[in-house]
Amino acid sequence: MCGQGEDASRAEPWETAAALVRAAQGGDALAMDELLVLVSPYVTRLCRPIAPHDAADAVQESLLAVFKGLRGLRDPVAFYAWVRTVTVREAVRVARRTGAEEPADPAGLARLGGLRADADGDLPADVRDVLARLPVRHRAVLVLRELEGLDEAAVADLLGVSQGTVKSRLHRARSSFRKAWSR
Amino acid sequence: MTSDPVRRLRVLAAGLHAGMYAEEHLPLPYERVWPVAADLRDELPHLVPFLREFRVPPGDADRKEALAVGRSGLTEAFEVRLSPGWCLMQSRLVVGGMAAVPEAGGTRFAVLGATRPAALRPAQWLYGRLLGERRGRAFVRRVAERAALR
Repeated sequence: MCGQGEDASRAEPWETAAALVRAAQGGDALAMDELLVLVSPYVTRLCRPIAPHDAADAVQESLLAVFKGLRGLRDPVAFYAWVRTVTVREAVRVARRTGAEEPADPAGLARLGGLRADADGDLPADVRDVLARLPVRHRAVLVLRELEGLDEAAVADLLGVSQGTVKSRLHRARSSFRKAWSR
Repeated sequence: MTSDPVRRLRVLAAGLHAGMYAEEHLPLPYERVWPVAADLRDELPHLVPFLREFRVPPGDADRKEALAVGRSGLTEAFEVRLSPGWCLMQSRLVVGGMAAVPEAGGTRFAVLGATRPAALRPAQWLYGRLLGERRGRAFVRRVAERAALR
């Protein structure tokens, strides 16, 4: 009925998640709660760089969409990939809703070394600051390509645009990012 | 996100397509409200109309086994997860949850009720729309009344 998460230290994250997804799809609320606790840090990591000004809202909207749609997920092993798709869509939507983009602080930008996540997969605050200055569509492409390591075809598929568009956005995003931190 | 129990319960309500979910701001401090919710043995029978007794072992373990005794005498075993601002209970048939966070000098309190078997879901959806929110609000009101008595 529950407790699938107790094997989490031995199992791969997607295996742990898959067992919880199956139980949650069957109406097991304790398993669903374990799954929610398990996946929240991943959703937070994706949302912060894409919707830096509204990260808490983006996380909540993403989790609501994920768990509302959980019953429809056919392959529990694909849970994380599906969460990524839903989260990026929701984070972009939330970020566009407010569309807050402020000019960068040059002193902060000078400290940046690149788009590198720390051991927890989180971005340093100063890198997040620079990302926050980029247009939402550039942020989403950078996060998926550089942080999540997706290829251009997968990014195009996920964002519902052509590969050519991804290529050009990536080029512009990298060049603005480089400009931003080398200023 | 999971650091806010009310937001966490809201997500579970969406995931479970819960028939009953309500949250409200109560003008009472969290320190007075949460002890009512957390005192399952003494308070839950005051909060749930059809419940006569809720037998739960004492102590502050976060995982417990409990036995609900209804007014009709029927019993139902529950698994309980309890931590500050968070309570989730599940039996073979139903799920119950409560969450609270301090908010603007008062407390945001949420309650969830859902049925488990797939066969009951259409009924849950129908009655949930008609009664769920009202029952939920009544539950929260009773929590506030019990907290005010303390």
